[in-house]
Amino acid sequence: MSKKTAKKPLVVVENLTKRYNGKKAVDGISFEVKTGEIFGILGPNGAGKTTTLEMIETLRSIDGGTVTVDGVDVVSSPDTVKSLIGVQPQTPSFEEKTKLTELIELLAAFYGKKVNPMRLLKEVQLEDKANSYPEQLSGGQRQRFSIAAALVHGPKVFFLDEPTTGLDPQARRNLWDLIRKVRDRGVTVIMTTHYMDEAELLCDRVAIMDEGKIIALDTPKKLIKDLLKRGFKKEQHVEQANLEDVFIDLTGKALRE
Amino acid sequence: MNMRKSLLPITTYVRIDVKRLFRDKVAIFFVFLFPLIFLFVFGSIFRSDGNNVSFRVALLNESDAEFSREFVSQIKNNDIFKVDETVTNMDQAKEKMNRGQIDATIILPKDFGAVKHSQRYPSGEAKIIYDQSNETAGTTLASVMEGIFKDINQKFIDTPAPFTVTASSTATKGLSQFDYTFTGILGFTLLSLGVFGPTSVFPRLKQRGVLRRYHLTTLKVWQYFVGNVLSNAFVGLLAAAMMFIVALTIFDLNMRGNYLNLAVVLVLGVILMFGIGLAIGGWARTENQAAPLAQIVALPTMFLSGVFFPTFLMPEFLQHITRFIPLTPIIDSFRMIVTENASLLDLGSQLAIIFGWIVVIYLVAFKVFRWE
Repeated sequence: MSKKTAKKPLVVVENLTKRYNGKKAVDGISFEVKTGEIFGILGPNGAGKTTTLEMIETLRSIDGGTVTVDGVDVVSSPDTVKSLIGVQPQTPSFEEKTKLTELIELLAAFYGKKVNPMRLLKEVQLEDKANSYPEQLSGGQRQRFSIAAALVHGPKVFFLDEPTTGLDPQARRNLWDLIRKVRDRGVTVIMTTHYMDEAELLCDRVAIMDEGKIIALDTPKKLIKDLLKRGFKKEQHVEQANLEDVFIDLTGKALRE
Repeated sequence: MNMRKSLLPITTYVRIDVKRLFRDKVAIFFVFLFPLIFLFVFGSIFRSDGNNVSFRVALLNESDAEFSREFVSQIKNNDIFKVDETVTNMDQAKEKMNRGQIDATIILPKDFGAVKHSQRYPSGEAKIIYDQSNETAGTTLASVMEGIFKDINQKFIDTPAPFTVTASSTATKGLSQFDYTFTGILGFTLLSLGVFGPTSVFPRLKQRGVLRRYHLTTLKVWQYFVGNVLSNAFVGLLAAAMMFIVALTIFDLNMRGNYLNLAVVLVLGVILMFGIGLAIGGWARTENQAAPLAQIVALPTMFLSGVFFPTFLMPEFLQHITRFIPLTPIIDSFRMIVTENASLLDLGSQLAIIFGWIVVIYLVAFKVFRWE
């Protein structure tokens, strides 16, 4: 899918384990994420997706195994890892009564950096909202702002946890474009999602998790091919469009906010 | 990390945090207006105009003698008496005295001021009736009336008075009720800024995931602490300055001390009180966890540290305890600076207790702080 071919691994996860009250929430998983790819982690609720992300992000202690980001160990050098990664939380939230430019400036300062807030806002098409407060933004705008805020320090890896949950079709498409744009700038993307269409369209490779284990890992195309090889047959029902196509055709692709 | 790089998060945070406060109407109300309202309420109660003692009285004149009528108009013109004209009989007077709306009732009986057959001058006996609960006002009023009658008597019968007494006050004014209350309200402002603010703000930021986002950056806990302390110290100084301006211009506060010393104690006070709020709010995951703890700390502090009444009025064993409550040395320092022009050297023992508390509180706050 990507024009850039995947190169050396940027994130290496080996035997990663997390226990809650004796139960293994993440059960010795291993995978590598290559530089420049969009890597998806799929799975039902409680599969351990968020816990896995939070361990890589230095937010949660690691009970077993190792994680390195760009060769840096997460447990021994959390601060170096923090400056290498950017994180988009599930529900982006910011301090109120603070202008968008001020929030960008503040978060950059927390990394010890000075930035040009307007340039970053322009990248997510929010330059006309520069003097607004985050509580005045729509859902889609807030997601876009949150992405700008997560990238203030120029990280190498970008994590997104269910980024499009609760967004309307226009905002979802816009966010996909934005995620691709971020990847095209050379940032590696790791994301979780519940939407299979999203994973199929966006991700170069996906890992499917269940009960703390990775049960499949490959490109979406390869996973589908394998399934068909095993003799899977879907009721043939070829249509040239679906309801979402109708919706987008009628309401247009432009952002609504 | 070099010095400038580790200061950037702090300076940026302070600048933006202060701006944010001025956009928040609720915060402005609690930090600036609430203490001012307090100041106006207590200021008008304890206004320091010492010689203007006055009595609210009902005056029932049952006599139709010429002297009696003249006496009534004299009383009404006298500044010491505020005559409640709506009271016309004893029942109404009793009711108002019961409620504390008037201090006492003066009754001039039927024969008051009449000239008796054997005499050439009017005579009579005025009665003063007061509520049992208001004995001081009643007896004071009786002696005031006695003084008035003495003057009148002197005019009718000239008797020599070998002994007299005059009273005058010393040149320096002592601690007026308002001066005392003002420093208490100043302490109360620090308490509410330091404890009630952070104990509600930090848990809310945690629940919304804002602090989690900060935790993802390379921001250190100490940098976040210092940033918050500085912006609160700035706001605290501003609030105190406003209170001083109002107290000096409207309520004639007697400020004898040095403003620089006062600012030093104010900043130390904000650091200490904010540390308490930071320890509670930094530890609590939810507002429900923080609110009762904040009350447990704030209520005893409010009553035992001399915010509203002097600690020397308390039983001795309590006084030993109150000396070590964090707010007590702060308020004591305010009072000593404002009324006695104490220097920082004079405040040695108070400052030692304040520093001790700051060390303890911030060690605890650092230890228990959680980002989410």
